[in-house]
Amino acid sequence: MNPILVLGAGPAGLSAAAEIAELGAPTILVEREAYLGGNPKRWHYSLLAPDLRPSDEILGPLIAKVEGNPRVQLHRSTTVTKAERLPKGFRITLKTGDALETQEVSAVVLATGFDHFDSRRKFEYGYGRYPDVLDFKELEGMIHDDRVLRPSDGKPPRRIAWILCVGSRDLQVGNPWCCRMGCAVSIKQAVEIRQKHPDIDAYVYYMDIRTYGLWEDLYWKSMQEYGVKFIRGRIGQVTLAEGGSQLLATGEDTILRRPTEVPFDMIVLASGMEPGTGTQEAAALFGVPVGPEGFLTPNLSDMNPVDSGLPGVFLAGAATGPKAIPDSVTEGMGAALRAYQYARN
Amino acid sequence: MTIVAHLPQRALTLTEEESAAPPAMELTGRRRASPEERALSETIFAEFHADPRYHEFVLGCLNCGECTTGCPAARFYDFSPREMLQIAETGDATTLWDALQEKIWACCQCYTCNMRCRFGNDIAGIISVMRELSVSHGVASTRKTLAPFGRSLTLLMTVGTQVSSDMIQPDFFRDWGPFATGSDRAWGVGADIMRRAIPSDVLQTTRSSWEVSVQTSLELFRIYEETGVLDMLRGLDPDLTEMLIDIIEERREEFEEARERFRTELEGMSGPVATFRG
Amino acid sequence: MLSANEIRKVVQERNQHQKGTGKKVVDVREEMERLEAAGEIVIHRIRPENRPVEVSTLFGWKKRIPTDRLWHHKSCGQCGNIPGYPSSLLWLMNETGRTYLNEPHQTSCTAWNYHGTATSNPVALAAVAARNFHRAFETGHFPLIHCGTSYGDYKEMRKLLVENATVRAKVRDVLGKMGRELVLPEEIVHYSEWVHVMAPEILARQKHRVEGVVATVHEPCHYYKMVPEDAVYDESIYAGQRPAVPSGILMALGAKVADYSTWYDCCGFGFRHILSEREFSRSFANLRKIRPMVEEAHADVAITSDTGCVTTLDKSQWIGKAHGLPYMLPVLSDVQFAALTMGAHPYKIAQVHWHAASAEALMTKMGIDWKTAKAEFREYLQALKNGQAPELLHPAHGEIETFFAINKGQVLPDEAPAAPAGAGGRSR
Repeated sequence: MNPILVLGAGPAGLSAAAEIAELGAPTILVEREAYLGGNPKRWHYSLLAPDLRPSDEILGPLIAKVEGNPRVQLHRSTTVTKAERLPKGFRITLKTGDALETQEVSAVVLATGFDHFDSRRKFEYGYGRYPDVLDFKELEGMIHDDRVLRPSDGKPPRRIAWILCVGSRDLQVGNPWCCRMGCAVSIKQAVEIRQKHPDIDAYVYYMDIRTYGLWEDLYWKSMQEYGVKFIRGRIGQVTLAEGGSQLLATGEDTILRRPTEVPFDMIVLASGMEPGTGTQEAAALFGVPVGPEGFLTPNLSDMNPVDSGLPGVFLAGAATGPKAIPDSVTEGMGAALRAYQYARN
Repeated sequence: MTIVAHLPQRALTLTEEESAAPPAMELTGRRRASPEERALSETIFAEFHADPRYHEFVLGCLNCGECTTGCPAARFYDFSPREMLQIAETGDATTLWDALQEKIWACCQCYTCNMRCRFGNDIAGIISVMRELSVSHGVASTRKTLAPFGRSLTLLMTVGTQVSSDMIQPDFFRDWGPFATGSDRAWGVGADIMRRAIPSDVLQTTRSSWEVSVQTSLELFRIYEETGVLDMLRGLDPDLTEMLIDIIEERREEFEEARERFRTELEGMSGPVATFRG
Repeated sequence: MLSANEIRKVVQERNQHQKGTGKKVVDVREEMERLEAAGEIVIHRIRPENRPVEVSTLFGWKKRIPTDRLWHHKSCGQCGNIPGYPSSLLWLMNETGRTYLNEPHQTSCTAWNYHGTATSNPVALAAVAARNFHRAFETGHFPLIHCGTSYGDYKEMRKLLVENATVRAKVRDVLGKMGRELVLPEEIVHYSEWVHVMAPEILARQKHRVEGVVATVHEPCHYYKMVPEDAVYDESIYAGQRPAVPSGILMALGAKVADYSTWYDCCGFGFRHILSEREFSRSFANLRKIRPMVEEAHADVAITSDTGCVTTLDKSQWIGKAHGLPYMLPVLSDVQFAALTMGAHPYKIAQVHWHAASAEALMTKMGIDWKTAKAEFREYLQALKNGQAPELLHPAHGEIETFFAINKGQVLPDEAPAAPAGAGGRSR
């Protein structure tokens, strides 16, 4: 059997490669970056929702399963530049630095993931101009290193606001979908900060809270145990507050039905998920249809969410739409099984 | 035995006037509409939903409040663009009718809500549709709201500019102070001289923003006649409308006389100047 | 903190706007090309003699700003009560050797009235726009829109005329009755965009240094909130996140442009409110704009680029004293400020005496000898009173033009393709 190609080594790709190896088949795991772990590693995610376990505790074992595994051929800092269809599988060209290498593979799992929305595109929040307006992925790193300080002056903040749905559910930036993660991750960040620094006030501005399923517990606890405050209404603009050392968040409190203007030391933007560059390239390489949002489209998203409908091409993780890590890991397993069945027959 | 039982039990002492006054908290409720008002509100409601712009402007709402964030009117009035969109979506003619009485006129038409709306609604636009309907149906409160506009409407309809320097009189614009009209007494000359000191001949008038040629203003009135604007105005104020038509008739005669007077110069000219007949 | 390349990428990504819905923003200029090819409209094109300069808009699209051979689309509010606004612009054009027409053959856009009283409708507004567009076209001069609301309205109306065939047919029919045809300009150009691209020539003629001047900018709503994709943005100004005009020219001249908390707020004009609900307008202007500008940013001057904004911000301040808001912050348009730095006469050209908040302290800070200029102006007024002919920036119009929109032998654009008869064909 030719090896099965897994493209992308985030949670879904790691899970898929580990399972294929477990099934006894050879795997080529290709990752564009020099490290394994995808976005969670790239942005140094801290604790993961909903169980508040350190991301390393989840990614670590997954990485350990593929690193040094004799059935997993690992290619870091590598991209696939060409894919020719064979009667069964593909002949692919791998590019590492300037070196090109051709391999035949029997099936493909596309686990190319997502990119965080670039918050500079939501002009009204001044991200990129005001140093104390942060993207929540940057705050993850700060929490991870326990250095939650204002970038402008290095001082600890007293009041932090989270703005949900930045680059999600918003036609003004062209992204009408929900990122599924922003609520839970923002609340989790507020909880982590309140745990370590009870003197910091945490406000979450929301239009809906989507901590679906059992994650709702996190939302409740954040209020019951950690005193995180929730204000229903969006912040429409961020400007410099009087004196210039704080930021002024202006919005509508839609419950009290009036405009609000509140100064904050730090404002955190819950940036949404967009189809990653790798996902767009994979769609073109393997001819997988993409939906209007730009994510890969499964053939039957309800019956078989990991099948592309094209022979030998399987999908996993956030490449098909915003997804949590547990879901991505599950899809990696499913895609591994389907790819193995295809390759074996 | 509880402590409370020992407290003196008696009602508050009210004066006669206080007893006669209505309770401090009144039940909310609407003023009962007359049958005529109810019929008009149903007509307006039907026309509102039949307007082709309705489905283009009103798409849905997440009630996020980003529209209200930047709304100037929301700072000083009981008004929010979010509420206006909810009203636009209501299936209740009376709710729309109530909004036509005051709320629609709070909007500043700054378009901040439109720029911000993540659902793609045209809120400023749908408010304009509501306003147009109240104008063309001559809703009483609208007639009252627009009463101060008689003079600027006359100028706009017959000449084609919104204001003139002689409209900005210190007696009406007292809150603007002594310097706002450029003709403070300290300069020692009248308003006409202050206008002559503007270095462009077309600006040296006090009776409109700039000199507008007769042909140009008649072309504008033709547009109003052809696009239903005069009909809308008739709904608002039939007398004003007839007065405007009289003014324009005179200007048309004046234009034809001038055509005779300038016949030699005009001969051989092409384009609108030759084709336009008032 | 952002590199130009990063910003460029971000701005261009906004080009991928509103995908996945029926409301995707399309470039109306591309649709115009299709309509012209189908004989439905004529495009008034920017030609080499208009000496255009290219800039970027919100999505990174390109926009060409003509700098010469321009048709002044005046603003009724500016001419009515801030006459130094248009006269400074005309003066700047004379100084920089630009040709133009400033005619009596223009109506206002009528959008002030529409947004204030709704005694009109979009078909009428579109016809008014098209009537003025055609007048500019037949003179061979490219329209330059002075007013922010006219600019916003004309952008909206051009879009409506392109997207809605029913409105287009109706407007073409109305225009036909006055011997005109449906012409849409290749670009809707605001005068502040002209000032923006003329910055090098203005700088070359700058006489007064303004390094010590702190300016707060009020961005006119109808410049960038109506049809936002047409507004000019520049990566080097506010990292491309706020419009480039009129801030760009102030930065270029050397003034310090200061930020303040209510930057995005409107001025309080409200179209209806400024005339019949002035308690609102003046409360808003004083509390939400002037106070933050003075108390947060310590501004010497507020600069804006629209009629209503200068009016509201300036005229509302006098009464502020009665409410404990004694600011009297001078409010000028970008073009008046630019003209003053180039040595324009503060009274004869910039006509600062029409402003309620005095600009004298500001002019002192700029090194302008306004006292001498004021004395000269006083003498000039007396001379006018005694019958002296006024000084003019351009030749006066003859009596015939009181009545007729004649074409004084101006060259008609000859490159416009003749539309087929019956579809708005040329009526000559």
